[in-house]
Amino acid sequence: MRPASFEYHKAVDIEDAVRLLAEFGEEGRPIAGGQSLVPMMNLRLARPGHLVDINALPMTDIEFDDRTMRIGALVRHEEYGRDPRIGKHFPALLDAVHWIGHPTIRRHGSIGGSLSHADPTAELPAAAILYDASMVVRSLGGERRIAAVDFFESAYVTTLEPGELLVAVEFPIPPRSSAGSFMEIGERVGDFAIASVGAHLEFEQATITRAALVCCGADLVAIRAPEIEAFLVGKTLDAPQAVEVGRRFAAMVDPSGDHIASADYKRALIGELTRRAVEAACARAIESK
Amino acid sequence: MTDITLEVNGTEKSLAVEPRRLLADVLRHEFGLSGVHIGCAHGACGCCTVHIDGVPKLSCLTFAVQCEGKAIATVESVGGPNAEHALQQAFKSEHGLQCGYCTPGFVMALIPFVEAMTSQRRMPEDDEIREAMSGNICRCTGYHGIVAAVRKAIGDQIAGGSNRS
Repeated sequence: MRPASFEYHKAVDIEDAVRLLAEFGEEGRPIAGGQSLVPMMNLRLARPGHLVDINALPMTDIEFDDRTMRIGALVRHEEYGRDPRIGKHFPALLDAVHWIGHPTIRRHGSIGGSLSHADPTAELPAAAILYDASMVVRSLGGERRIAAVDFFESAYVTTLEPGELLVAVEFPIPPRSSAGSFMEIGERVGDFAIASVGAHLEFEQATITRAALVCCGADLVAIRAPEIEAFLVGKTLDAPQAVEVGRRFAAMVDPSGDHIASADYKRALIGELTRRAVEAACARAIESK
Repeated sequence: MTDITLEVNGTEKSLAVEPRRLLADVLRHEFGLSGVHIGCAHGACGCCTVHIDGVPKLSCLTFAVQCEGKAIATVESVGGPNAEHALQQAFKSEHGLQCGYCTPGFVMALIPFVEAMTSQRRMPEDDEIREAMSGNICRCTGYHGIVAAVRKAIGDQIAGGSNRS
């Protein structure tokens, strides 16, 4: 199929883009790499009346200070996926990037585009929720920050208002003694995930002092598991009771079955992926000491 | 309609297009480049891969209006009428194709990979080759012949030192 008609506008800077998006309201959509939006348009699942091309905007930097990594919304998956600082501070994010689509898609798809698209099986929303990232959003009214956990409302639905543009995402840099991992299962590499689980662990000596777990495939948005994260605190890196952690996560979730996998299968998968993610994060933690 | 100028396979042409028209369709219908194959038209099969400013991109996920002033290369620009590029020749000798529908997409997706490996003088592992072509679907070969073709193209070019493109 082919897209419905729309008008095309090439924004010259951020002010221009938010002015155009404000003018078009619900009918306006920004386009960056187009790797998610254009398939939806080709299938006529999306029919925006106006596309605002934001590829010329200055949102292409990866900046670090002592506390925060800020990735411009237009940074392509391939680019931040190659940045050695990501692997050092955010190993689960680096793992997640490798599960995004294919090389050609990673070369053109942007971090802001994937987050704004909010596919329920997508890796980046999960990674943003895992690491307590903040979305930096601009509109004619100014700038605001939205915590990742509040940003994703439902499948393909975010709290972005018409006229707002995601310009960057900020990840708080975890303490040095931390490790993480992200595990995913899909039918084939590059396919939509059936389920995925990310783990982030902070530790002192050999003891876990803080944990975060995130899961895709259980609900319409990626979910955290505060009770199970609390269960991990105080466990040791060489015996994190990962099987029990997985069992508890599987018991907590209530996934829907679909044409690929039944609800029972997904629940079992989430348990197993949790075990693997926790064990892999612990192994990396031990390796890094 | 929007007026655009595209440089396609080295030739500039100005035309008026509707914004909704996909680059893949414009290349096929306005430029007569039937080597741009459209399989799924939603970014899943890789058949329509072309180079935009030297970088592989899916032309079914690109609007022609976005390509104003850009240089586009299709499979027609590779290897001449007899398909003499090392990778095309290796597809032939290693049974990297049967029906051929997916082949232009594979060739365009893999040329930068083959060139990068050749310039590093490095033979990649099969896993790396499979990763490089993971965005392209072939329903005939079972992929083994394509992996073999990539290996042969890289091996031949490292040995011969020439890129017959």
